[in-house]
Amino acid sequence: MSWVTTDAPTRAELDACVTCGLCLPHCPTFRLTGDETASPRGRLTAMAAVAEGLAPLDATFEEIMGFCLQCRACEAACPSLVPFGRAMEGARAELTAQRPSRVRTVRHWVLGRALAMRRVVAVATFAVAIAQRLRLDRVGAGPLARLRGLRRLPIPPRPTVGRRFPTAASRRGTAALLAGCVMDPWFSDVHTATVGVLTRAGYDVVVPSAQTCCGALAAHDGAAAAAKALAARNVAAFAASDLVVVDAAGCSAHMKEYGAWADEGAAVAARVRDVTELTAELVAAGALPSIPGDGERVAVQDPCHLRHAQRITAAPRALVRAAGYTPVEIDPAAMCCGAAGVYTVLRPDTSRELGVRKAAQVRDAGVEVVVSANPGCEMQLRGLLGASHRVLHPVELYWHALEQEKERS
Amino acid sequence: MSFLDALHAVVGRERVRSQPLELLLFAKDAGVRAGTAAAVVFPETPEETAACVRVAREWGVPVIPRGAGTGLAGGAVPEEPGLVVVMTRMNRIHSVDVAGRTAWVGPGVINLDLSVELGRHGLHYAPDPSSQSACTIGGNVGTNAGGPHCLAEGTTVAHILAVELVTADAEIHILGGEAPDPPGLDLRGVVVGSEGTLGLVTRILVKLTQNPPHVRTLLIAFADVAAAAKTVSDVIAAGIVPAALEMMDREMVRAVENFVHAGFPTEAAAVLLAEVTGFEDGVVAEAGTIARIADAAGANEVRVASEGAERDEWWRGRKSAFGAVAQAAPDYYLHDTVVPRTKLVDVLTDVYEIGGRYGLTMLNVFHAGDGNLHPLVAFDAREPGMLDKVEEAAKEMVRVSVEAGGSLSGEHGVGSEKRDLMPLVFDPVDLDAQARLRDAFDPDGLFNPGKVLPSGSRCADFDYVAAGAVP
Repeated sequence: MSWVTTDAPTRAELDACVTCGLCLPHCPTFRLTGDETASPRGRLTAMAAVAEGLAPLDATFEEIMGFCLQCRACEAACPSLVPFGRAMEGARAELTAQRPSRVRTVRHWVLGRALAMRRVVAVATFAVAIAQRLRLDRVGAGPLARLRGLRRLPIPPRPTVGRRFPTAASRRGTAALLAGCVMDPWFSDVHTATVGVLTRAGYDVVVPSAQTCCGALAAHDGAAAAAKALAARNVAAFAASDLVVVDAAGCSAHMKEYGAWADEGAAVAARVRDVTELTAELVAAGALPSIPGDGERVAVQDPCHLRHAQRITAAPRALVRAAGYTPVEIDPAAMCCGAAGVYTVLRPDTSRELGVRKAAQVRDAGVEVVVSANPGCEMQLRGLLGASHRVLHPVELYWHALEQEKERS
Repeated sequence: MSFLDALHAVVGRERVRSQPLELLLFAKDAGVRAGTAAAVVFPETPEETAACVRVAREWGVPVIPRGAGTGLAGGAVPEEPGLVVVMTRMNRIHSVDVAGRTAWVGPGVINLDLSVELGRHGLHYAPDPSSQSACTIGGNVGTNAGGPHCLAEGTTVAHILAVELVTADAEIHILGGEAPDPPGLDLRGVVVGSEGTLGLVTRILVKLTQNPPHVRTLLIAFADVAAAAKTVSDVIAAGIVPAALEMMDREMVRAVENFVHAGFPTEAAAVLLAEVTGFEDGVVAEAGTIARIADAAGANEVRVASEGAERDEWWRGRKSAFGAVAQAAPDYYLHDTVVPRTKLVDVLTDVYEIGGRYGLTMLNVFHAGDGNLHPLVAFDAREPGMLDKVEEAAKEMVRVSVEAGGSLSGEHGVGSEKRDLMPLVFDPVDLDAQARLRDAFDPDGLFNPGKVLPSGSRCADFDYVAAGAVP
């Protein structure tokens, strides 16, 4: 017995690896352990062994797959162009099918269903907002301490979904915004900045109410059926949009791969833009201004699914410069910060070890502000850096600069 | 107490791998053939390494050292079920003597990490194998690794001053030293390139090299391979020893360009990368001479890299060549022979002819400057009979190289891959001498058995076979 689903890693995907090993030093878990079983090549070899029936899909296989952060740094380093992220999602879908467990069932209900239920998310958000006001997240090191990385949640919430924001500038087009599952209630300031920047550039911004969670977390965790259902709903919701703007890097990376998740998905995927790349282009084209500033140094943290999955590195730096600041490099090796979606909950020790390294790199840079274009990385950084640093989305930094410029003039 | 219990007692349960699937991942390096790992252990100190050797010896289990597993000749492949000792966790740079230009490093330090770390002192570690971003210094010592920049700087053996070695009796010794010419036999030189057959190297004293004040890198495109090869031998004949002189053929350039997008000329039949280093006047003069020689040989185009990014991209392309082959087929067989530079054109012609005769997809990338050929055969090992066909062709290619006055292996080592071809270059007396040297270190054949020397290398074995053949 080898694979049982159509989501499994394909022969072509696995064949693409010639086992050269050039991925190894780019893999955070290999760097931590020096262990082939914790390397991209080892994981692919394990997948190939199961595919060819040389090894069973057992607890060892589950552990080897589960230790992967899915940061996809290996993909960017791979001269053979192995689609590692896709293969890993396929391997996890097989684990779901072949090694059912109650824990995974519950987790998949949360990632694949609950996140798509606005009322459930709203209730959870309200509970967290109350906990923040009671300062329960400041006490001890229990599960509530994980909330330290969150922004202060507004009461009442300010959802954008279903709304429309007309531009006052000369009209360039219409941009449809992905509201996201937790972006809308938890990171509404990022949406405010995105909407502000895009309307300033001449876009009417619409937030279609038929949309839902992008399904990235479900896909990464092997909840393939749920991920497909979510992708199909979004493909329908955005089918008529010429431009789909996403301000969470994990979501934009996943939506650019909708071709693999939904019928007609490729058409929507081709119109998805991460807000950092779109805004940087608008600045470069002169549709948005560069704001003169005092050149204060701002650290740039590269979310893996922006840098490795989408190969976007120049845009966030360009936004920092356009906002009047000086971008500072913190990690030339571009290692994962350890947040990695639900990894931070599933493997807190590894997550924290990588997060502590990243936080140290920020501190060593001697900056007060860090920008990160992904909510998971942002929470990891804020949780570990504490009150000494401000953590923002790069589009927020630019939007604040635009607003200040407006007040001055 | 079982063998595994004994290992657990030495390094703890977390640093031992023994599940069947885990073992499968250590059965192979970056080459083609797989072996069998009985257990895998990750020591963190020389003492732990010695303790692992002691356990293996007590249980009669062979010991196979492994670094990053980027080798291509099977050096880290357990030929018989053995204990794979992974050195990657011994990855500390213990000390750097900036003035004396030396450093003590763990065998698990990644080659490129060392040079990056030394960058702030204006120093680097010179041998730069194509896999340098991933391979370890320990593995480099094992294979006496080369690399593009070994043309002028020499291979690994020229950059290793001392090694700390765990021997078969589980003792820890230091061979060599900081002095330029330590007294006694040069046992350090014996260990470098011994592919883990003499002991386990647990610390290494490396020589560091000053970064050159000026670098100029040329990319030269040719309409035919012979013109490129002629340029190579003409450059050396003109008295220039470039820091690096590398060649890729059209198929290779296309695969590489598809990955790096560095603007390589994908229509050229062959591309040379030439790099000269030194003081500015000398660099400019040498680069000019190389360009003139290339023009005279019929080059289509000569480009000079801008400092920094463009040069880095060119080299990243060259060094990702092996991995990029996967775009052609799922497996590749990489040759590593050396021929006299003056025979480059003849041997290349023969190599293409052999590949054509066996109906194989060939790509060529090599250290042209020192005549180190790396023809690559891209294939699918699951096609019935394919691997045998590839190996047959490989033997023919090695034979034409050796017959042209060359050698079996340039820099990747002999391992298990070239082992049975050793009699092409060594007669029984040579092989016996090497086998006896090995016996002096490791009389029971504990370390990496079945590597480098073909079975029957000892004259005793030879006599035995001969005696047995006569009734």
